[in-house]
Amino acid sequence: MAKKRKKEAPRELNMKAAMNLILILIPLLLTSMEAVKIAVINVATPQIGPASVAQKPQDTPDEKPLKLTLALTDRGITVFAKDQVIENKDDPLGPTIPKIDGEEEDANGKMVEARVYDYDKLKEILVDIKSQHQAEENVIISAEPNIKYEYIIRIMDISRDTKEGKKKKTLFPNVVLSAGVA
Amino acid sequence: MSEDKKTFEYIPDDYEEQMLKRRQKARMKNERDDESFELNISSLMDILTIMLVFLLKSYATDPVNIIPSSELEIPRTTSHISPAATVSITVAKSSIVVDNQPVLIVKDGKVDASQKRGGEDGYFIVPLNKVLVAAAEKKRKLAAYNPTVKFEGIATLVMDKETPYRLLTEIMYTAGQAEFNKFKFAAIAGDPSKG
Repeated sequence: MAKKRKKEAPRELNMKAAMNLILILIPLLLTSMEAVKIAVINVATPQIGPASVAQKPQDTPDEKPLKLTLALTDRGITVFAKDQVIENKDDPLGPTIPKIDGEEEDANGKMVEARVYDYDKLKEILVDIKSQHQAEENVIISAEPNIKYEYIIRIMDISRDTKEGKKKKTLFPNVVLSAGVA
Repeated sequence: MSEDKKTFEYIPDDYEEQMLKRRQKARMKNERDDESFELNISSLMDILTIMLVFLLKSYATDPVNIIPSSELEIPRTTSHISPAATVSITVAKSSIVVDNQPVLIVKDGKVDASQKRGGEDGYFIVPLNKVLVAAAEKKRKLAAYNPTVKFEGIATLVMDKETPYRLLTEIMYTAGQAEFNKFKFAAIAGDPSKG
């Protein structure tokens, strides 16, 4: 009787092999897992593709379309609305939002003094335009040929939404990129 | 009374010797048990198995797998839209890659004029268009056989942050000619103003 009971005693499963496998797999997967989270920004182009995939413009407003355009140049950002430049009162011939003194990362990742885009001013102007055109969601972004991709992404971010306190307010989330400023 | 008597009667003469032997045996058994002592790893195993499943899941569902390097520094964005499984065009500092297949060389943010239709001022990058047309064709064939797949003409653009706008427009124009006219610009989720 005693012998029988001894045999029935639970035996541990030998999991050494499985353990080895798992211990190797986990660091492998951890290292291959992206450490950064990727997000995307949806962008459309002016219809230049073949006619089969071309779509009609979505909105057909009664009044003159806003056609809000942001043009990035070396000197700053020029804002167009209804085909007209929003003038900078201090410098009527210059861009709407001239660059300001600030800090910027150089090629080595160091912060150096440089002329940077005035994102706060841009946000101010965009919020102002949005308050006058609540339904408008499109913005056209254009730039000089040498403007870096980084700034374009940044401008898209600024024009997409804004925070009012804790509330997020949508500005112009539909971005259309147009050919460069000559 | 009679029982007490019995017990006393049954004590053997070599009782102490026997007890000693028994103790020794028990000690030996204990020692043997110590030798084959095993750590109970069941709970650890549970944790690891859950972790493994979780990691495998996150590994399998990433449509865009980007490893930033000095060749490909991706800007940051405040956008929270998740990437989708589309044709991906990656523009690093020195090359353009479509769906992990190298297509052409980029030098100083420019594509060599000989690769473009119309030379220096052209927008149409010939080798890139060729690859993209093939990719679109593949997607369309897939869509013909599998009703859950649709060809929507969407391409994901992963670009180095130093890429000039000119190259961006050239790529977008070329992709547009291959019927890709909606783009998803991939960037690292995070606030750029916070470094």
